[in-house]
Amino acid sequence: MALLIWILQNFWSLLVLSFATLVGLRIAYRFRKYGATRAELSHILRRSPFYLVVLIFCFFAAAPFMIMFLHSFKVDGDLYRRPQPFIYRQDPTLEHLESLFTNTAYLDFIRNSVVVGVAVVIITLILALPAAYALARLTGRWGERAGILMFLVYLVPPTLLFIPMFRIVVMLGLKDSPLALIVVYPSFTVPFSMWLLQGFFKAVPPELEEAALVDGYNRVEAFLRVVLPLSLPGIISTIVFTFTLTLHEFIYALVFITNTSRRTLSVGVPTELILGDVYFWQPLLAAALIIAIPVGFAYNLFLDSLVQGFTMGAVKG
Amino acid sequence: MSLVELQGIKKFFDDVRAVDGIELEIENGEFLVILGPSGCGKTTLMRMIAGLEKPTAGQIFIGGEDVTALPPRKRGVSMVFQSYALYPHMNVFNNIAFPLKAQSREKKYDKRAIRDKVENTARLLEIDMLLDRRPRQLSGGQRQRVAIARAMVTQPAVLLLDEPLSNLDAKLRANARDELKEFQRSSNITAVFVTHDQIEAMGLGDRIVVMSHGKIQQIGTPQLIYDDPANEFVATFLGSPSMNILRSDAFSFGFRPENFLPKTLADNPENSRIFHYYVKRVEYLGSDRLLYGYVHGHDNELTLAKVPSNVRVSLDVDCDYEFAVHNSDIKFFDKQSGQRIEEQNLQGVV
Amino acid sequence: MASASDVLNPRRYFMDDRRFVGVMFLAPALLYILLLVGLPFLLAIAFGFSDVTVGNTELNFIGFDNFVAVWENDIFRQVFGNTVMFTLVSQVFILIFANILAIIFTQEFTGKWFARFIFILPWATPVSLAAIGWLWMFDTKYSPIDYLLLQTGFLGPKGILSNSRNLYWLANPVLSQISVIFVQVWRMTPLATVILMAGLSSIPTDILDQAEVDGSRFMRTLLQIKLPLILPIMVIALLFSMITMFGDMTVVYVLTRGGPVDYTRIIGLYSFQIGIEGGNLAQGAAMALFAFPLLLALALLMLRTASRAEVR
Repeated sequence: MALLIWILQNFWSLLVLSFATLVGLRIAYRFRKYGATRAELSHILRRSPFYLVVLIFCFFAAAPFMIMFLHSFKVDGDLYRRPQPFIYRQDPTLEHLESLFTNTAYLDFIRNSVVVGVAVVIITLILALPAAYALARLTGRWGERAGILMFLVYLVPPTLLFIPMFRIVVMLGLKDSPLALIVVYPSFTVPFSMWLLQGFFKAVPPELEEAALVDGYNRVEAFLRVVLPLSLPGIISTIVFTFTLTLHEFIYALVFITNTSRRTLSVGVPTELILGDVYFWQPLLAAALIIAIPVGFAYNLFLDSLVQGFTMGAVKG
Repeated sequence: MSLVELQGIKKFFDDVRAVDGIELEIENGEFLVILGPSGCGKTTLMRMIAGLEKPTAGQIFIGGEDVTALPPRKRGVSMVFQSYALYPHMNVFNNIAFPLKAQSREKKYDKRAIRDKVENTARLLEIDMLLDRRPRQLSGGQRQRVAIARAMVTQPAVLLLDEPLSNLDAKLRANARDELKEFQRSSNITAVFVTHDQIEAMGLGDRIVVMSHGKIQQIGTPQLIYDDPANEFVATFLGSPSMNILRSDAFSFGFRPENFLPKTLADNPENSRIFHYYVKRVEYLGSDRLLYGYVHGHDNELTLAKVPSNVRVSLDVDCDYEFAVHNSDIKFFDKQSGQRIEEQNLQGVV
Repeated sequence: MASASDVLNPRRYFMDDRRFVGVMFLAPALLYILLLVGLPFLLAIAFGFSDVTVGNTELNFIGFDNFVAVWENDIFRQVFGNTVMFTLVSQVFILIFANILAIIFTQEFTGKWFARFIFILPWATPVSLAAIGWLWMFDTKYSPIDYLLLQTGFLGPKGILSNSRNLYWLANPVLSQISVIFVQVWRMTPLATVILMAGLSSIPTDILDQAEVDGSRFMRTLLQIKLPLILPIMVIALLFSMITMFGDMTVVYVLTRGGPVDYTRIIGLYSFQIGIEGGNLAQGAAMALFAFPLLLALALLMLRTASRAEVR
């Protein structure tokens, strides 16, 4: 806690200092390796505009997140008394973070999001795994056409579909039920996952399946016992991206669920943490940040395999 | 002074010593082939001559000038890649013109000059009717010519070729080899050619550099390298089937299967060594018979003999024969280092 | 060895038949998707030609009345114009920034992993939550951006931009549009960058080495080799983010709800407000349908580009 207060109070100087230290260490490392020669200095000078551009882009990307972090711990007096948004003049507080978890439906939002996300991932895998394999290996030209059709379906935007879907959901009595989202979300997660998985399946050498067929498995068993285990990294990244897609979804969640405690994160946070036009900024910002950071990590971890899956699907498609 | 000089060139990728101390001089106008198994460092060496890799240690001179720190465009080299690396979005004319345009700032080519140079080079390689085509509309052989034309158009001091024949099918390859050699001879350009194919190397090279594990094993004319290998590696790497190597307590010795003939066929039995040879299996290859068997006293070292089919000597499986090798055809190697050594006494060894 | 019972019972071999297993594997997903998207899609068209509302469940077909009404609605015309304008303007910036970033991130440099982590955050964060951050950044009174401008003399009594202490980002017609475009560019650039990076890294290294040996410098290699080679992928990235943006209403919903007046209202949001909040399902559906021909054209263009790129 004391550490957090200290970090918050010295946020900018710490940011600049740690950056300067890293730059200094890097230069010192190069000097040790190549000697502090004139050539080395000019190399550093020539590279610096490049790093400056990187730094500017990073700053723009990170700006709202830094402000979110900084402002989540401000007491009201410090936040709303101008003019000092960038430093702490009063001690930071955890009170808003506490109230986010105790006085609001934030924990419900998280739970609902997880329930919907997990259920959608399971349905998506059951539907998309065999379908993607069929597209990658089993079906010829008609499969290719089915794949293109799937892709077109993925491009039909929710803004076009939410009105009739709303009607159907109401008719089925699923309004305000997470089931509505669980049923509807696969309409975009399945095409997405199929496209991604298809790429990973194509990367498995066909000889391995053929060997399994010769060894006495049938096609279904060959798929289950040879192809699936070999594509495990691809499947894991598909799971991650399917889950985050459900976290991102906004329109259906907004339209289908109106009961506060049933809402999911993407809708619950921007609508339910605001009372009329009264914004409780600190918990609001904290609520957004708490979700943003882990999802950001997940994306970075699996980004390469995402790109690989998509390019595989495209190159060999 | 030689055109290209490499002094103490090393290249380490982390702990891997890809190229480990190369001294090499390339003469003006020669066709030098760098031959070695895959992973021996030959491509890395060529990429360092081109300037695509910086050596970890050592210096490279081209035309007497130290180019070690210079980028490729300042070196006066050009390169033909194994994949030909034709720019797929440009037609043949623009592919060939690309190096001229890229260097137009230093060399001041105008449009007219570029057109003339491209057309002349294309005519030389007989691709002047293909100038409007895209690379994907060309056959393998045509692509290779375009790649060579693009490499030649700037009149480089050195032409580097990285296995440019390996993408062609076997029939085309022999033809392309002839044309390449002919072209090099007539244009008198210095060419460095990297390959793992010994037939290509023997057929093309004025001199061959045999490399293994990042080091040069031997440099010499094709004949020298074949007849007088510097060590066991060179001896066994060249020739198909490769040289028989037999080991004794003190040293190893070897002889080529085609020099290992029935005693009755040896033209100089007094100067030949006689071996008792047990034939285990015979393969009939048309012009030759390939014999698999063992020399007496070396029952674990499979020894091959290549006997012309047109000599009427019956050679049967499971029989012992007397075979002879001319003394000058027996090479001796150090047992530890594998280096060639002086002639040894074979008495009691076989 | 096939026994007599195997021969008599061909069902045993179904699991080995490529076609049969293919159909079995593909059918569930295909049916699910077609049902889940096709049915509402047809229903959307039916709604567009009817007078259905939230309260009234009967479908009375009234021909093109809805479409005529929508098109004669001045607000809708502005909304349609906004949608097209936002989409096009943001694409220009997205493409510029994505190209720069893709070139940066295909180079090797110290701290690349961390820089990449930071620059992907806007795309990784759920849109509605990221928009909250920007809502605060653009706050009427407490905007940190305004504070910076105030300190640097752009705002305040003698300010260059305005003599007020605030710019009122989301209340000013032009600034609100700029803000919305800015946030869209901010969150979509990483996706376009990632697609372009995939394109750049799929260029064979031989081609780039060849260009280097041919004497080509950085800019020439970029303009004459790299960019032409990734052009098809660039078009795909462009169309993809256009389609995504066309069908999205999250950013404006959180930032402005379409205001001030109608300056940031877009089709998706308007059809939500009319169709769901206003209860007029028929008109809402008709509005959404207006954008469909455009979307379809974009999607087909995208597929054409993709298939052409593959031929090369």
